[in-house]
Amino acid sequence: MGIVSTLELTLLAGCIAFVIGAVLAVVRASGSKLASGFVVVYVAYHRNIPLLVQILFWYFGITALLPAVIQSWLNQHGGGFLCGAIAIGLCMAAYVSEDLRSGMRAIPTGQYEAARAMGLSFMQTMRYIVIPQALRHAIASLVNEMLLLLKNTSLLMAIGVAELTYATRQIESQTFRTFEIFAFATLCYLAISFCIMFCGRALERHFRVAGR
Amino acid sequence: MTSNNAMIEFAGVNKFYGSYHALNNINAIVPQGEVVIVCGPSGSGKSTLIRTVNRLENIQSGKITVNGIDTQSEGINVNKMRSQIGFVFQQFNLFPHLSALENVSLGLIKVQHLSKGQAQEIAQGLLNRVGLEHKVNAFPGELSGGQQQRVAIARALSQNPPVMLFDEPTSALDPEMVGEVLAVMRELAAEGMTMMCVTHEMGFARDVANKVWFMDQGQILEESTPEEFFKSPKTERASKFLSDIR
Amino acid sequence: MIDILQNYWLLLLVGQFPNGPLGGLAMTLILAVCGIGLAFPCSIAIALALTSPFRALRASAQALVYIVRGLPLLMFIFWAYFAIPALLGTSVPGVVTMLFALVIYESVYLAEVIRGGIQALPAGQTEAARAMGLTHLQTQRIVVLPQVLYNVLPSILSQFISTIKETSLGYVISVNELTFAANQVNSILLTRPFDVYLLLAIIYFTLCFILTSCVRLLELRVERGRKSLRLKTQ
Repeated sequence: MGIVSTLELTLLAGCIAFVIGAVLAVVRASGSKLASGFVVVYVAYHRNIPLLVQILFWYFGITALLPAVIQSWLNQHGGGFLCGAIAIGLCMAAYVSEDLRSGMRAIPTGQYEAARAMGLSFMQTMRYIVIPQALRHAIASLVNEMLLLLKNTSLLMAIGVAELTYATRQIESQTFRTFEIFAFATLCYLAISFCIMFCGRALERHFRVAGR
Repeated sequence: MTSNNAMIEFAGVNKFYGSYHALNNINAIVPQGEVVIVCGPSGSGKSTLIRTVNRLENIQSGKITVNGIDTQSEGINVNKMRSQIGFVFQQFNLFPHLSALENVSLGLIKVQHLSKGQAQEIAQGLLNRVGLEHKVNAFPGELSGGQQQRVAIARALSQNPPVMLFDEPTSALDPEMVGEVLAVMRELAAEGMTMMCVTHEMGFARDVANKVWFMDQGQILEESTPEEFFKSPKTERASKFLSDIR
Repeated sequence: MIDILQNYWLLLLVGQFPNGPLGGLAMTLILAVCGIGLAFPCSIAIALALTSPFRALRASAQALVYIVRGLPLLMFIFWAYFAIPALLGTSVPGVVTMLFALVIYESVYLAEVIRGGIQALPAGQTEAARAMGLTHLQTQRIVVLPQVLYNVLPSILSQFISTIKETSLGYVISVNELTFAANQVNSILLTRPFDVYLLLAIIYFTLCFILTSCVRLLELRVERGRKSLRLKTQ
């Protein structure tokens, strides 16, 4: 029911967030003033505006700009879900890119130099040397972002997406068994959080062994 | 030396860090009014030993008695016990958000429950004694290392303890400031304070110490007078240590 | 978009005051300030519990932190929305509900910040205080907390900025804050959602950006103060 939606949203938004976040981090490191500037603005925008407002902006604001055909298609095919996932994904991408940036800062500069001395291009350096190491350093913060992502999916109930919090309210208004249903939802969130934290710790351990 | 005269007594003291035997069956006495210097290579357990006296470190077996009180006993008021032992740290550990006067008077106000006026009067006297009468309202950030350590000594003296412990008091100081701190310590010794001091300052040890304890690998290998220790150490490891530091 | 601002700036700023309850940006700021203000003493208590030498106290505090951090703020808002009237027997204005949820949520996050600060303070400070004979609580009150709170001040202010953003969730339970006010404007105009929400975004952005810059300046000052002391004892 709602749980499935929540999980789907978390995963979808998570993928968007990590992919775009990685791209942003690489762009930021590329040295091009224009590109870096764009990333800085992107991050500042997403960090200073409440996520709920971003969601509303995407759902009500941007869709109003799209041609009518796409609008009706969206309305029929769970526009809320898609817009919500995009909004959360893009927002978390900003945080992910900052985490990766810190991870990159933790890599000794000698690494970059050695890679370039070997003749690797910038993109190759990023792909084979930098990102893998940055990930290792950034794992803890990235796991935190996943947890945040999970919690932020609850915001989508504001635009009618049938995820866990929304479903909870629906059931509650129908059956009036308020406390039981909220307690159940609470336990669900806690359970999923726990799983994410557990996987995170396992990942940390895995990377630590492989690294040093 | 009889036990009646002992200010600090270690009896069968053992301490482990996990499986590492940090203090190995320590039996020793610091008599009242005497100055004991503890020296040895790093890792020998000298800092650990001195920190067990006021229970900054705990011990797994044995007994430590300070001024007749068993410091490890269950019913003891740890805070009161500590207020009667003066401890001077290598890193000074002054409270940076309090002035020198406030640092020194803190114990008097909070532990001895004196009024602020009384406490500050005593603190002022102590700061005069260590040569810092003009710096009473300065904050630690405004003082040199040597000045900070002297404030720390005044702070340790504030509650009038019968015994003073020094954990490498000059090791963190620039060489030119070591002298001013040692001068204060010499004066204290001359006044008859019982002192136990972990240090590398061999000149100080030669002049002031009544006894030198040499430690290595958690054990006290030698207990001798400074003359005996520096001229003819009894163990090979002590000889090596002395030649290394010369 | 400028015309929206010109026509509706009063609504966005203070809601329907004085013809109705206070709202808009003013309400947002009031909620944020009260939220952090009330959460602050609670967070100190929780932080002390987290670093307490008593295992039972530590464990219960850790459990509390885990639960509150594992749940979305929205969940807390709904819990408060239903639980408070049920407990008190009377209906409660949305503002109080929102404040209650914010305070619980923020005090846990602030507690974690303070706990980090306590653990980052050099151990020598606590040792020196205990060696003088100060009790654990005296040590916390006189030596640890004054230093820690100064050191983590930038993080506390960052959390305040987060709280401003979190007030936007009041929209969901019809609390009359900025996002809700913007929504009202949107339902009046109906044909220009993009402009309205863009304006909303810009207002939040400006507010948070200015505050974030202030925090960054404050961070530099605190770092400078700490560095000079660290160099002396090296």
